[in-house]
Amino acid sequence: MFEFLFKYSRTVFNQGNFVFLNSWPVWMLWAGIAAAAAGLGFLIWRKGGAATPVRSVLVWLLQAALAALLLFMIWRPALSVSTLKPQQNIVAVLVDDSSSMATKDEGDAARKDRATKVLTDGLLQKLKDKFQVRVYRMSDHLARIEGLDQLNAQSPVTHIGPSLKQVVADAASLPIGAMVVLSDGADNTGGVDLETIAEIRRQRIPVHTIGFGREQMQRDIEISNVELPQRTLPESRLSALVTFHQHGFTGQKAKITIRDNNKVLAAQDVTLKAEGAEQLETVLFNAGPAGVRMIQAFIDPLPNEENLRNNIVTRMVNVDKRKPRILYLEGEPRWEFKFARRAVEDDQSIDLVTILRTAPNKLYRQGVKSADELKNGFPTTVEELFAFDGLMFGSVDAAYLTPQQLQNVKDFVDRRGGGLAFLGGKDALADGGWQATPVAEVMPTTLPDKKGTFQWTPANVRLTPQGSESLITRLEDDPKKNDKRFEDLPYIRNVQDVGTPKLGALVLAEAVPMNGGGKALPLLITMNYGRGRSAIFATSGSWRWQMLQDKSDMSHEMFYRQFLRWMVTDTPAHVTGSTPRSLMADESVAQLRATVKDKTFMPAADAVVEARIIGEGVTETVAMTPDQGEPGTFTLDWTAPKQGDYLVEVIAKRGDQELGRDAFTFRREDGTAENFHIEQNRALLEKLSSETKGNYYKPADAQQLGEDITYSEGGISVRETRDLWDMPILFLAFLMIRAVEWLLRRKWGTI
Amino acid sequence: MRARSTLFLIFACLASWGVLLAQKPFHDYMPELVANGQTEAAMEWRTGQLRVPSDWNVPHEWTRARLKYTSAGILHPQAHTGWMGWATDYPDGDRNFQIGLKRLTTMDTTSVEHVSELDGSDDVYNFPFLYAVEPGHWNLFEDEADQLREYLDRGGFLMTDDFHGTVEWANFLKGLQKVFGNRPIVDIDNTDPIFHVIYDLGKRVQIPGKQFLQSGVPYEFDGFEPKWRAIYDTQGRIVVAICHNMDLSDAIEHANDPEYPEEWANMAYRIATNYVVYDLTH
Repeated sequence: MFEFLFKYSRTVFNQGNFVFLNSWPVWMLWAGIAAAAAGLGFLIWRKGGAATPVRSVLVWLLQAALAALLLFMIWRPALSVSTLKPQQNIVAVLVDDSSSMATKDEGDAARKDRATKVLTDGLLQKLKDKFQVRVYRMSDHLARIEGLDQLNAQSPVTHIGPSLKQVVADAASLPIGAMVVLSDGADNTGGVDLETIAEIRRQRIPVHTIGFGREQMQRDIEISNVELPQRTLPESRLSALVTFHQHGFTGQKAKITIRDNNKVLAAQDVTLKAEGAEQLETVLFNAGPAGVRMIQAFIDPLPNEENLRNNIVTRMVNVDKRKPRILYLEGEPRWEFKFARRAVEDDQSIDLVTILRTAPNKLYRQGVKSADELKNGFPTTVEELFAFDGLMFGSVDAAYLTPQQLQNVKDFVDRRGGGLAFLGGKDALADGGWQATPVAEVMPTTLPDKKGTFQWTPANVRLTPQGSESLITRLEDDPKKNDKRFEDLPYIRNVQDVGTPKLGALVLAEAVPMNGGGKALPLLITMNYGRGRSAIFATSGSWRWQMLQDKSDMSHEMFYRQFLRWMVTDTPAHVTGSTPRSLMADESVAQLRATVKDKTFMPAADAVVEARIIGEGVTETVAMTPDQGEPGTFTLDWTAPKQGDYLVEVIAKRGDQELGRDAFTFRREDGTAENFHIEQNRALLEKLSSETKGNYYKPADAQQLGEDITYSEGGISVRETRDLWDMPILFLAFLMIRAVEWLLRRKWGTI
Repeated sequence: MRARSTLFLIFACLASWGVLLAQKPFHDYMPELVANGQTEAAMEWRTGQLRVPSDWNVPHEWTRARLKYTSAGILHPQAHTGWMGWATDYPDGDRNFQIGLKRLTTMDTTSVEHVSELDGSDDVYNFPFLYAVEPGHWNLFEDEADQLREYLDRGGFLMTDDFHGTVEWANFLKGLQKVFGNRPIVDIDNTDPIFHVIYDLGKRVQIPGKQFLQSGVPYEFDGFEPKWRAIYDTQGRIVVAICHNMDLSDAIEHANDPEYPEEWANMAYRIATNYVVYDLTH
């Protein structure tokens, strides 16, 4: 229809530039139109007679439009379009040969077979009639093939962008006039980068795309993402944030399982929500002992599901063997101290070191490494303090510490990235004068500026919505059961008013007075500050959770272990190695990174850092490069030669002195990305076409490409002009204007 | 609005009752003991010197619970007349000790003790330090022994004191075996932290009760040698501290008696303080 009305195909219009062939300047056209409109207006006004103003205006508009149309045609509108010279140009045909093209989602034929059929049904011959044709198979690399029988749809990856780039590079020496891409658009690199698009545009090569595969699956559930920390402590409770979407199963039940290889760590039933919408579920599990974990999130197959390969996603978690040290300074012997110590005594991943003021001039140390450690009490130097990963203060007056020690505590959170916690008590928090110290800045609340905030008020504990989701307060996997379990915990005998939570702080639990007389007070508050984090647990009464419950109940132990782990899990060492993706799905270049700090945790920009990489037959030591924009950070892009596990040890030195070392692992895994997003990515294909002046075709319309491909500015082309003045649409418009005027006049009875 | 207020009031009452069920209020047993004619402090009580301190109801972090048990009649002639062995040295032994703790340490103690029974209620669990005096005369019933075991397994600590000689030891053991079966009772090594946690008590002496002032000997019956014994849990922590053939409680009760030797009173305070601080650190 388009071509009938406009004389030429859409491609001609897309490719061509609009011009007027009449030698008269264009401004004269506009002036002529204006003059004609004015003249007609004058005549109609003069002859107005009994006509109403509305009728006069209508007639004037129609006649002016007609005059404008005539003048437009007189000026000889045309399209200037480039066409490829026959037999002098090359057309590159790129056929996606990745495993997603083996999907049979439209009838019995695989996508690859349908693509082959499109080509063999005449398109390839049409192209060969006019051009030299080169056929390529496109997967993780581009390879020229002699026949379509060489396609097998088994490649684990598709890299559309690099493939196009390679063809463009060839265009520098070959007259490539156009590219034809037959694909489902399932690209594993996340799309075609802007640089490639810009290069194609610069070479003026149109990319025509033919899309295969259904644009939406009918019955499928797919895991979109699984969020897990890359590193954790042994036996830590972790939450896997599993994001998925589904088509065709709304309202049905599904089961999410978390596995470590084949060992089931956790399972959770979920009800599937709206069609196509992303659904997020949290599954808790135990990280287990130290070592590398290949954690798999798996959704059990549902009846008649079309693609089962996208029901599983793997993530790598390094369970570190380290044992972070937490220093707990307590001002008085009390039961909270005793039971907090006992709660973490069996935790092999936490080293709790305590200093207890037993008398005004006496200290009792526990958990120290040697008789000399902390023999003078709370650390006085930055080096000594920063050797710990976490700090906890009980019922101790701020005046017990010197101003320098208080500043060091603040820096411990801000600069060192440690965890800081405060417990309630008669000499704690505002009653201990902490609000007037530098430490107040890193606290999660603005402490009241008064004494008497420690109240002996029996209270129950209630979790807030944030607390229901927090790993600190997860005693039960099921959030509702967890809330109930906290409600059922024995009462706490005291609670401290900690003031107002700061912006960015999270109140995880509240103390609800049992006598009904007072309002709920924030009980457990956390906040991230600087590189570290801080928390307040505003009571000294949680020990009743241990004493007033059966000896087998682990609520108190779990709470304290999770609380202390939260404090120190993310506390960095002097040297920390990392990679943004510990599991590289169909990628080969690992981005390695090391952050190096000196003993006072200042960035060690002058360090020399090297990475020792071992794995899959490779043993390499490579120097890492300082990041100029981020002092103390060193980077390295390293290509993993083949799939498998790699161990990286980063070692930082300053002169002969070693500042520290850290080890982490990553895995290159090929062939997984192709299992996801197997629906046709039409948006990608259309974008690629439109940005390069090509067209997107459905397979049924693909034969049209044989004609359209002629119009291109790439390769060896000639510029032609195509008249537009004789387009049928213009004559139709002429007739319609006249017909409308005639009909109106008939209606008005003027003819 | 009125209905809501009524509901609120009912809820508040129920909540308060819940607390009361968990922790019984303070109770002064002196009137009952004086009526029973068994306390040597009766005169002081009658003359008002032993009245309950005015701040008895001010809460603090630490309170010592005194175990109220049934006495075994066969061992003491007064038992038949309702003698209550659990109340020996009560309440001065308790209150002097808690005052001493406040003075000698940074602990925040109440001014009065709390008398608790193994009666199946949750009361005793609110006081993780339990003191049993004259346990050589106790008669622990099976359900009491079960509750004491649960108490200790949850993290409670039991200190026993003021029992002497082989006969009382045998009766003490009988009760303790109901709690722990045949778990070994061992002599505490001098290097154990319980003797060093706040005071270094490598050298200790037998602490006699006030009876020394009449008898002139530091022991009672055939309890010639002081024994510092304990039951340890699986983690190597003392959960039952047994002070046999000594009377720390009496020494503390009479610490302000000019006739009672000061060095023994001091030693008694130090030992008991170490035991308390040990419990709070282990």
